[in-house]
Amino acid sequence: MTDLFRRPGLLIWSVAFAVCLALVLLAPQVRWIASFPRALQLPLADWLNAGLNPLFETVQPIGRGFATVIDAPLRLVRDLLLFVPWPAFAVAMFLVALRTAGRGLAIFGLIAQLYIVAVGYWTETMNTFAIVLLSLPPAVLIGFGLGVAGHRWPRLRAALIVVLDLMQTFPAFAYLIPLLILFGFGPSAGVIASVIFSIPPMARNTLVGLREVPAVIIEAGVMNGATPGQLFWTAKLPAAARQLLVGVNQTTMASLSMVIIVAIIGGFNDIGWEVLSAMRAAELGRCLLAGVVIVALAIVLDRITGALATGTPRGVVLMPDRGLLTVVAAILLAGIGLRLALPGLELLPRGLGFAAAKALDRSLLQFVGWSDPVFSGLRDALNYGIILPLRIGLATAASPMVWGFALQPWMVAAYAILTLALAVVLAPRRPAAALLILFAALILYTGLARFPWPCVVLIALLAAWRIRGVGLLAVVSTALAMILLSGLWQPFVQSLYLTAIAVLFCVLIGGAIGIAAAENDRLSQIVRPISDALQTLPQFVFLIPALMLFRVGEFTALIAIMLYAIVPPVRYVEHGLRGVPPHLVEAAVQMGVSRWQLLRDVKLPLAGPAIRLGVNQTIMYAISMLVIAALVGTRDLGQQVYIALGNANAGLGFVAGLSIALLAIVADRMLRRN
Amino acid sequence: MIKTPKLLATSSAMALAGLLAANSAAAAELGDVKDPIKLAVLEWTGAQVSTQLAGMILEKAGYAVEYVPAGSFPQYSGLSDGTLSATVEIWSNNVGDIYPRALAAGDIENIGSLGLETREGWAYPRFMEEVCPGLPDWTALKEPACAAALATTDTLPNGRLLDYPADWGSRSAEIIADNDLPLTAIPAGSEGAMIAELRAAQATHSPLLLMFWGPHHVLAEIDLGWVEMPPCASDDPDKCVKLPEVEKVVWSGFADKWPAGYEILKSFQVTSSDQEKLMAAILEEGQPLEEVAAGWIDSHQDVWQPWVDAAVD
Repeated sequence: MTDLFRRPGLLIWSVAFAVCLALVLLAPQVRWIASFPRALQLPLADWLNAGLNPLFETVQPIGRGFATVIDAPLRLVRDLLLFVPWPAFAVAMFLVALRTAGRGLAIFGLIAQLYIVAVGYWTETMNTFAIVLLSLPPAVLIGFGLGVAGHRWPRLRAALIVVLDLMQTFPAFAYLIPLLILFGFGPSAGVIASVIFSIPPMARNTLVGLREVPAVIIEAGVMNGATPGQLFWTAKLPAAARQLLVGVNQTTMASLSMVIIVAIIGGFNDIGWEVLSAMRAAELGRCLLAGVVIVALAIVLDRITGALATGTPRGVVLMPDRGLLTVVAAILLAGIGLRLALPGLELLPRGLGFAAAKALDRSLLQFVGWSDPVFSGLRDALNYGIILPLRIGLATAASPMVWGFALQPWMVAAYAILTLALAVVLAPRRPAAALLILFAALILYTGLARFPWPCVVLIALLAAWRIRGVGLLAVVSTALAMILLSGLWQPFVQSLYLTAIAVLFCVLIGGAIGIAAAENDRLSQIVRPISDALQTLPQFVFLIPALMLFRVGEFTALIAIMLYAIVPPVRYVEHGLRGVPPHLVEAAVQMGVSRWQLLRDVKLPLAGPAIRLGVNQTIMYAISMLVIAALVGTRDLGQQVYIALGNANAGLGFVAGLSIALLAIVADRMLRRN
Repeated sequence: MIKTPKLLATSSAMALAGLLAANSAAAAELGDVKDPIKLAVLEWTGAQVSTQLAGMILEKAGYAVEYVPAGSFPQYSGLSDGTLSATVEIWSNNVGDIYPRALAAGDIENIGSLGLETREGWAYPRFMEEVCPGLPDWTALKEPACAAALATTDTLPNGRLLDYPADWGSRSAEIIADNDLPLTAIPAGSEGAMIAELRAAQATHSPLLLMFWGPHHVLAEIDLGWVEMPPCASDDPDKCVKLPEVEKVVWSGFADKWPAGYEILKSFQVTSSDQEKLMAAILEEGQPLEEVAAGWIDSHQDVWQPWVDAAVD
């Protein structure tokens, strides 16, 4: 961050600090500093409703027609998948997995399918599979089209990237109401939401793939007299094929991660629906049984599409591919034939999941009861010691009610002197750090939630301008104006504060785990499947145990966010450290550095770009959890999204959703420096 | 509301009302028996039981029925245009504004109460009677010791009342203010969050006071005490805790398409004790919903056959 504060910057930031200090001191007297004046707020949500709802209703017939077009093939695919007896499907899947991704995945897939049949979720799984299968082609085609357009017309690219960012960060819950108005109730609306969310990875990979086609290939094409069309189809596209397949892989995963949203609308008895109703009844066992199905589905689809993208070093070739296809088709057809011949045949056994789910629920409750002394202590310590002071500040936390003593003037003086002294000591050599400490001390004093809003605005605008210039400054000003004027400031600050704490802890803890995993192969092997599971398990599954151990409130929300957002720092730090060129490590070792010096002075700096990308991803993940975390009781933008949903207030949903999306996009731009 | 024949005998006034009701539930054509009646199946077990029963009775009358899972907010979109035909368990306490708005728009029709004997109010696990002596009387909550036991970091120095999720709408904060109680209402975020807290409180004997309702499946598992609520200070009934209505709602075109089905659904009632028994069989014993509901249909023909007979020619 140090280049934030290049010489002229130093002065600007010092002035900013002085202004903030003055505002903090004035806040108790001047009302409009403490909270944005209500009189200035505008009914933005109502205006949006008045403007957008008629618009949606006008284009409704088109949307409904579109939904009907999707509905028929969706039901056809589902009926077909359900008509094939499961053993035939399992054998076919085994052969495909064996050919593409190798023996390990083939066996895993077989076990997964046996599990799905045993717990009684075959029908639900096939319904979900149908949704994923149907949302893939449109997402891939549209994403490819957008990517090609962005490549062909470079002027479009900046706008395209903003649109893609919005599609990925705008929480689907927030546009559920317009979606329902436009496309009506049913799985098609869910498929459309899922397509919207899964287009961006395909478009991005298309852009990257086409951009990175080696110049040699293009030159060769041009010299051979290829027309632009020929050049594209015969030279560029084949050269970018691998990257495009990576896009298909990521699009598949994105569409799978939307199964819960599809289920929230309903209309299709899919596995996400099972997770949702289990969550509603707070049954961890059932939630987990269904969640594991999604994980298994994700792993199988990821490995198969991933293997297709990167070539198939592990694929087992039993016979030529054409022969294999014939065999797979024959098995499936034989299954269908069997079903036609014996219409009454019911091959699915009764689900055995119930007993296991019940047992799991019982042991969770036993654990909650048994571990209560530990967890209630932990809960209180973290709540009173960290969470509450960060929110309401030392000024308020140091009260007889919270910490058992009142804040005396001498304590405030000591705090101020200590901070100043530290800043003065640091100032000559590291002025930026000194300024950071001053700001941090000020925020810690008032608490994030009570930090005067003009200061937040000032800091955000300055940071945007200093880091990325006028463009980002415009975005940040618009976003902040929208949030302040619509009266969503408090929920926004809550979101900001939840995200900030979650990211901080995730980077510290996840980074440490990543470092340890990079240094130790065995640990790495243990960590990897856990990361996979945390990433693909529907986030709802975490909510139940977190709630039972930590109770309703921000702290539980924090735990839920962290369980999901901790994966990127673990992965990227390990990946970055392991990617350090061996000869550099060798050289350092020969110069006699200790293991610790090697890590601090050689590996970590070299892994810098990967780590920064990891931090970026952590922020994205944390923000994407805000809406789901609101289910455990937060007062953030996520809660506003649900209130909007419950009141059919599309405008409020739009404003709250856009605030979340802009928070993510701005954070991303600030971290991704040019 | 339509009275069942048993009640008719009890008073002549009721008999008259019953006769009027029976007249209004006049025999009608079956209508379109090929196109299935699509019933919305909601996320909670109680609604799943009620829907399955309604569907099986409609099938007995000769209709085709399709059970469609639906989110409790998105279902209104489907009911408004006939993608969903009916939903039989709308709780007035957890719907937000979306339901009154859809009613006002005229695309859906409220066809009366499901007949569940509901309750609602502030509730607590039984051990709370030791923590706050004087419960269930609401004045026990005024004691500082009681508030201190319920306090959390979010509510200091007040005690915490775990309230309905913010999107359901709730009256607890106003009741607290009207009666000067040392409590703060904290929205739970979701029904799952409320139940998880309740189970954890029961397992760890940690103090909990929450807004709750019945019939609910968790009541079979945890014995709750109900606070005798303070008298309602407000004139606006929406600001008081009252018994939540549980209503049946159909798509506006339902009566024309399935006239007899409309009459059957109007007559359809479920008692709380029946619903609780069926929920327990599903949740505690793991029996499939369809079998449990079929069992009820077999053993309660005397209850539903009259609804069908009165509706079908």
